[in-house]
Amino acid sequence: MIELRNISKKYKKNGPLEVKVLEDINLEIGKGEFVAIMAPSGMGKSTLMNIIGCLDKPTSGEYFLDGAEVDKMNDDELSRTRNKKIGFVFQSFNLLPKTTALENVELPLIYSPDDVDIKARAKAALESVGLGDRIDHIPSELSGGQQQRVAIARALVNDPALILADEPTGNLDTASSAEVMNIFRRLNQDGRTIVLVTHEPDVAEQAKRIIRMKDGQVVNDERRDA
Amino acid sequence: MSAGKIISLSLKGLSKYRMRTFLMMLGIIIGIATLTVIVSVSKGMQKKVMKGIRSFGPNAVMVSAGGGKMFGPPDDKVTTLTLEDADAIRESVKGIRAFSPFTVNLEQNIIYGSKNSTAPVVGVTPEFADAWQWYAEKGEFLSDEDIASMSKNCMLGRTVVSELFGEQDPIGETIRVNNTNFRVVGVLGRRGTSPHGMDMDRRVMVPITTAMKRLYNITHIGMIRIYLDDASRLEEVSKTVTAILKERHHIKPPQEDDFRVTNTMSMAKMAKGVSKTLGTFLGLLSLISLGIGGIVIANIMFISVNERKKEIGIRRAFGATAGDIKKQFLGEALFVTISGGFAGTVLGIVVSIGMAAIRKMPVELSWEPFALAVVFSTLVGLIAGIQPAKRAAAMDPVNAIRG
Ligand SMILES: Nc1ncnc2c1ncn2[C@@H]1O[C@H](COP(=O)(O)OP(=O)(O)OP(=O)(O)O)[C@@H](O)[C@H]1O
Ligand SMILES: [Mg+2]
Repeated sequence: MIELRNISKKYKKNGPLEVKVLEDINLEIGKGEFVAIMAPSGMGKSTLMNIIGCLDKPTSGEYFLDGAEVDKMNDDELSRTRNKKIGFVFQSFNLLPKTTALENVELPLIYSPDDVDIKARAKAALESVGLGDRIDHIPSELSGGQQQRVAIARALVNDPALILADEPTGNLDTASSAEVMNIFRRLNQDGRTIVLVTHEPDVAEQAKRIIRMKDGQVVNDERRDA
Repeated sequence: MSAGKIISLSLKGLSKYRMRTFLMMLGIIIGIATLTVIVSVSKGMQKKVMKGIRSFGPNAVMVSAGGGKMFGPPDDKVTTLTLEDADAIRESVKGIRAFSPFTVNLEQNIIYGSKNSTAPVVGVTPEFADAWQWYAEKGEFLSDEDIASMSKNCMLGRTVVSELFGEQDPIGETIRVNNTNFRVVGVLGRRGTSPHGMDMDRRVMVPITTAMKRLYNITHIGMIRIYLDDASRLEEVSKTVTAILKERHHIKPPQEDDFRVTNTMSMAKMAKGVSKTLGTFLGLLSLISLGIGGIVIANIMFISVNERKKEIGIRRAFGATAGDIKKQFLGEALFVTISGGFAGTVLGIVVSIGMAAIRKMPVELSWEPFALAVVFSTLVGLIAGIQPAKRAAAMDPVNAIRG
């Protein structure tokens, strides 16, 4: 489902100086996998996630998502791909403030070309993460764990094949983390591909595959039998 | 994205920032309200002036005794205009259809039985009817014989008739004017209000000879009306008349004229000039306030776009295209200006109606302010919104989502 070939990402800094964040990454992730990416801070995990998520473009290399060549897409095509195929979950939740849980979850559907019952779909997504009774709450009225579950509902609502989670448990306590990880495991059992970034070994261990990076390169790729 | 989705997105965006939204609207509301008032008042004034001019008559030159003030019949103490002046003008000007010198004595007591009323007494010749295109509606107009014999026959305007006689037929009845009995021989057709706001139907008309010799013992007249065959000669005749009177009255510069010559054309010109100057000034004012409103909106929108960077990033991450973002912010600007424009029109109409009621301003409500409001508020919204919207759309999603 995901195929990265010689992906590099460089940032230009003050003229000639370049920062190489990713260097020649080659990676394949199949449909239905549950992958954890681990690396020290500042080593380009988020950058890689953004590239996989069609939010950022690599400086060089090729990226195929479901057979489509992402690095050749224009901005509108990238937007449409994000809308249809990808659901993001962020460390800091990134919910719209002053906006109800329901409206937050509706967001991807608003930009979807499909004609669906937006409210009903958003409500169902919230129910699937156990928040059917919180649909009218705004983020500041929800706990961290609840906010992250709203964010997961938002990531799911458009029924994407791929869920990308960048340190989804980084701001959560142990109990909330466990809840969130349970949801991810369940989603994976339903056939969804999940890629998550984490620092925490016990979070990573719940995945079926752990990819370790250092200095912009993959240093270890471990498949586990969960 | 559908128009409905854009509108609902824009509305949701604005509803989260109510104070900001109101501030953005304020300039537009004031600008459009001013515009609405200007249009209503200037249309009202125009209508009033045109009505006045129509009642003045299209081909008429008017000479009044006394200089200075711009409008209205002269004070009856002004003695500068005489029947000899009138004769001299009549002899020198060609193409006259009707010529009517007349006297005016304002505020006279008119008595019929136990009722009384106040009205100007106007001393006229039979030609008055043609000169004013104003005829007897009932009974007879005063005749040459009335003039020759200084008869005590009179005609009444409709206002006087209704005040003294009510529904009763006044023809043949006797009224008392200035301690003299007059027989009513005719009732004048309805004329309405003069350009100077006088009720033209409040009047008693008597033979000019009777007025001058029997009633008031005067040798001067108040005004002369010259009705021409040809409207294109109005200015020329006005000049000739002015020259004749200057000469007869021995007026040399820098002495001021002791008479006034006006005509339909010069009245229309003056009215147009005044309303144009006023309209231009106020129009400019409202355009400036719309311009300032637009600048305020653009600035607040820029602030808003920067503050909502993260929101833009989040929307982009979940599939909003750059175009969707642009439409959302442009939609917000347009919603602000168009609803501000609507509120402004309503406010403007309320103010116009208030002005009509309290200050007795002539006000004419029409569809034009709505059309102007729609056009201007849409324009301001587009111009003020496009740059902030473009900036929002151009944001890099990865950067934006970091906030
Ligand atoms: N826009 C940018 N311009 C310049 N350098 C950047 C930019 N974005 C990221 N970087 C650099 O790229 C490197 C990788 O950043 P990234 O956010 O991918 O790291 P990360 O592994 O996710 O770190 P963390 O664990 O702290 O989230 C960092 O050194 C960062 O300074
Ligand atoms: Mg990161």
